[in-house]
Amino acid sequence: MTRAILLATAVLAVAQTAAHARDIDLVTLPPRDAVQLTIYNSEDLTLVKEVRSITFKKGLNRLQFSWAGTLIDPTSVYFRPIEHDDQIEVLDTTFPGDRPQVLFWNIQSAFEGQAKVEVSYFTSGISWQADYVMITDPDEAQATFDGYVTVVNNSGEDYPDAQVRLVVGVVNLVEKIQQLAQRGLGRVKPEHEVHQALRESLDVADEEADALFALHAGKGASQSGRRAPKVIKEGLSEYFIFTVEGTQTITNGWSRRMVSFRAAQVPFDIVYRYRPHQYGPNPVRFFMLANDEEHKMGASPLPDGVIRVFRQRQGGGLNYFTTQSTKYIPIKEKVELNVGADDQIVYERTVFDVARDEFVYEGKPLRVVGWDETRQWQEEVRNYRAKPIVLEIRHVLQGDCEFTAQEPAAKATLYNFRTPEYTVTVPARTKLKVESKGTFHLGKNAKQNRVRLTK
Amino acid sequence: MHARQSLVPATVLLVALAVLTAVVAAPAAGRIKLATLPVRERVEIQLENSKATLVEEERIVTLLKGTNHIDFSWTNTQIDKRTILFRPLVQDNSVRVIHQSYPPGENALVWEVFAEKAGPVRVRISYLLGRLQRTFSYRATAEHDESTLTLRNYMRVANFSGEEYGNAKVWAGFGDQFQREMGLNESKELLVGKFVQVPIEKKFLFNWRTGQHVPDEPNQRYVTMHYVLTNDEKHKLGTFPLQHGKARIFQKDGRGGEAFLGEDWGKFTPIDDEMKLYLGLARDVKVERTVERNKRQTVHANRFHQEVIVKYAVQNFKSKACILDIEEDLNRLRDEFCGKKNHDAQWELGPETSDAKQVERKGARNLEIHIPLPARPEKADEKPKEIVFRIHLWFRNEW
Repeated sequence: MTRAILLATAVLAVAQTAAHARDIDLVTLPPRDAVQLTIYNSEDLTLVKEVRSITFKKGLNRLQFSWAGTLIDPTSVYFRPIEHDDQIEVLDTTFPGDRPQVLFWNIQSAFEGQAKVEVSYFTSGISWQADYVMITDPDEAQATFDGYVTVVNNSGEDYPDAQVRLVVGVVNLVEKIQQLAQRGLGRVKPEHEVHQALRESLDVADEEADALFALHAGKGASQSGRRAPKVIKEGLSEYFIFTVEGTQTITNGWSRRMVSFRAAQVPFDIVYRYRPHQYGPNPVRFFMLANDEEHKMGASPLPDGVIRVFRQRQGGGLNYFTTQSTKYIPIKEKVELNVGADDQIVYERTVFDVARDEFVYEGKPLRVVGWDETRQWQEEVRNYRAKPIVLEIRHVLQGDCEFTAQEPAAKATLYNFRTPEYTVTVPARTKLKVESKGTFHLGKNAKQNRVRLTK
Repeated sequence: MHARQSLVPATVLLVALAVLTAVVAAPAAGRIKLATLPVRERVEIQLENSKATLVEEERIVTLLKGTNHIDFSWTNTQIDKRTILFRPLVQDNSVRVIHQSYPPGENALVWEVFAEKAGPVRVRISYLLGRLQRTFSYRATAEHDESTLTLRNYMRVANFSGEEYGNAKVWAGFGDQFQREMGLNESKELLVGKFVQVPIEKKFLFNWRTGQHVPDEPNQRYVTMHYVLTNDEKHKLGTFPLQHGKARIFQKDGRGGEAFLGEDWGKFTPIDDEMKLYLGLARDVKVERTVERNKRQTVHANRFHQEVIVKYAVQNFKSKACILDIEEDLNRLRDEFCGKKNHDAQWELGPETSDAKQVERKGARNLEIHIPLPARPEKADEKPKEIVFRIHLWFRNEW
């Protein structure tokens, strides 16, 4: 039995009015047979399920459930008979105003004897996060890719020998569990609060996992013996549930990090992208792989979390690339890891020439009110690496514009109505020049707001 | 001073029968009372009005022939004195309320009641009571395959009125009536309705304007997942309107347990209407939205038409097929390319729309596109197909 949560059975004689019998209790404390924690990472929310065996008398039974020092949402506490469910019925649930953190169930039972029941509730203070470690080989052609999940318990309650399930998904909550737990039921909620309750936008958890790394064993060994427990993954509606094999002891104040999966010899590609409006003034390097069988993964989605990327050095040791937040990756979806700018690739873009014509005049005295301006750009890419690189380039051009690119960018396409894009391959240890031209219609010459590609 | 019988359950609410020997009111005599306190025979608490709680008490008062004064007073109880009604339950008009008076500075009133003959009379006293309120909530458990769910509708009655009601009949205005004690400062939760095998309509929605941003993907938004319940007989509901309340949805996990899917505020839903519940994000459906064409056609002076093509590239990474509904707000789309206007957009579909049959006009301002998506392929080396849908729009007569 946990310190803080008590489930007591008060057995009453049949036909007494509840008001007079309220404080007359014959109390038995049924032991807890099993506990399951289902922990959500998108919100501070854990669904706790306890299974207990309770002895019922025929007629009215009164069950007390109380808690102290633990954040439980009283509106979420739910009683369900697992056995004899057609003979056991909850008549009502009472929340006494003079005793916070207590509730009573009045239960009518046509059955006499012991029956398993389940009590479930939402609590706050337990969370989990995913993190990944990718280590590439020295040639940056293959990598090991390991996934971890870390459970942190700040709920105020210990959970020994609990089955632990982690939910990968973003659920909608209209009220925070911690607030409901602290508010209790000690007041009447004004109607306007109910009607003004807004759906909150949900933030995907993208926090650093540094402070949460803990390889403590915790009190009580996992029932799966000396090997690390497996994490079994299965889908449920739009979410995935990771069930940790066996039972775990999650002690208050502790955290536990477990291996979610390991993938070795994972092939990946490298692509460079130049998108100043999105990534800044320099090209950035991407490691491209996918959450699928070809890349030794694909058993489940990859939860959002934090990834640390390293490279093995020739002769041992590691180079550190980056720590990034990663978003949720479905099964078979590509994984694009932005590992940042590369010193070995230098990019410059200059306006090489400007010319104006097609003037339109109006007014007295005549003034220029419309004109065309043609700009010629020169892009230079220097590749100091020993391998060729692929560079994808996008430019956002505002206004009414015709755009032309020369070889090797002559196959330019439009990403959207104002963004031409093209890809160039720069051989190893080579400098490549790309020339392009844009004619902007300005002032009264501007009739559109889009880019047109011309030859 | 009011005497009290020890069996009277109300601690603060007193109904005293003041018996006067003379018929004519004698103000100088004040309120001289010989009080007997009739017991509450029956109490009903009516909660059908969301803004007001009506309490009806029945008592048996013994009246003298002629004029009687009945004193009704209360302390620390949230009674609205303007709403108190006194009704003798007689078939004829043999007992009549002549008038009621409000003594100054007191939570009290006095009825002057004329009785044609002496004897016991059943009376009903009703009043609106503050701080005894009800809220509703729902708990639904979906089957593992999400085809149907069991919906439980709960009412929670919170009594902070300052008065306790033993063995009161409590009614929400629909469903069963309950006989319960309503203690002081107590909340009680009751099951008012249970509906089984309610079919679930699961919807996936994409809305560019309101959707949550996808990290590092400026042209994407997350798809949202909704359960839609129709409150009619065909969908195993339709017994009464569904009140506003929080709905929590669980799903059987196929191993004897359940997992929580999400919650939302269910709005008040009349019979035959739909209750749409937003549960969470469907991150396995990916949508990338770009604007492919934005072209202006001058008509005359500063009047123009604007041509826009919006492209949606959709991939379904789920193991099941589904239908994606894409919502577009045409006024806001028009404002994006024509400048903000104060009038509604005049729009029509152009011929380069992928499939006009998949586009549903919801009104002058909104349209919805319904795109069926196949499940992701089972073969390991096959990627989910990217489905491209284009909507070609003409915004006419702008300036």
